[in-house]
Amino acid sequence: MALNTLVVDDSSVMRSIIIKTLKLAGLSLGAVLEAGNGQEGLKLLEDNWVDLALVDIHMPVMDGEEMINRLRQNKEYHDLPVIIVSSESDSARIEMLQKTGATFMHKPFTPETLREAIIEVTGVSHEE
Amino acid sequence: MKNRVEQALKAAGLKTFEETCYLYPVPELKEIQEMLPLEAAAEVKYRGDFTGRILIETRGGLFRAIAVNMLSSQDPTGEQKIDALGEMANIICGNVIPALGGVSQGYRIEAPKNIPLSEAQNNLLGEPLVWTVLNLNQGRADLKFYVDGYYPAPEKKT
Repeated sequence: MALNTLVVDDSSVMRSIIIKTLKLAGLSLGAVLEAGNGQEGLKLLEDNWVDLALVDIHMPVMDGEEMINRLRQNKEYHDLPVIIVSSESDSARIEMLQKTGATFMHKPFTPETLREAIIEVTGVSHEE
Repeated sequence: MKNRVEQALKAAGLKTFEETCYLYPVPELKEIQEMLPLEAAAEVKYRGDFTGRILIETRGGLFRAIAVNMLSSQDPTGEQKIDALGEMANIICGNVIPALGGVSQGYRIEAPKNIPLSEAQNNLLGEPLVWTVLNLNQGRADLKFYVDGYYPAPEKKT
C-alpha cells in the first residue's frame, strides 16, 4: 500500500527536506501533497485522500495545533495519523499536542527516525 | 556555563548539519579557512528563563552548499538559500535551548531572520557569550550564542 502523505510547513525549504527524507526512508509513497499552513492543509484534504500528515507547529494563518484540533473534529479525518515535525522545545506544549494522538518528531531527523515514526503512527511498515 | 553552552552549541550544530544537509566536520581548520570572507548570516531569538539569540554565519561556499544539499538542487535561488540558512538556525536553536535549560522551562523560539551582511561584518550584534566554529567539508559555519544582558569581554573564538 502506497502512503498518500500531506506535508504542512510554512518553509518551502523544510517541506523539501521532509519530502526528500520521506523518499530516503524506504517506504512506499503515493502522492505527496504540500501546504504552507494549516488552513491550506485542511483545504487540500477536502479534495484529496491522505493516509498520513506531517505537520509543523509554528505557521502563519493557521498553526499546526489548530489544524490537528480541527482534524480530530472532522468526520473523515478524526483518526488520521499525524506526525508533528518541529523545533519546539516547550515540553508542556509538546505533551499537550501528543494528547491529540499525534507523534512528535524533533528536528533534525534521519530517514530512519522518520521511518520508525511513520510505522508507529500508521501501524504498517509500507515497505517499498 | 560557557563550556556547557559551547558543548551544546557544537553538538547541535554538527548534528543539524549532518542530518539535515549531509555536511560533515573535517578535522582541522586550515589557515586559509580562517581568512574566508563572510557570505551570509541568520539569527533566531529565544525567550524563556533567559532570552537571547543564536547567530549562524557561513563562509567558504557553505551558504550555497546548505541549500543545494537540503533541496537536492544545483541551482537554488537567493531566497531558497536564505530560507535554508534560517531553517538551520531554527533547528540548531531548538536543540541548544532544551540542552541548556531542560524542556520544561517553557522556552519559545521565534522565526528565523536574515541578518544583513553589513550588520554581521561590523559585529553590530556585539560579543557573543560563546562563539564556536564548525569546519565542514563544504565550508565553515560560525555559531554565536548571545544572552541578553550579558556582555563578556572580547574573547578569541574557540
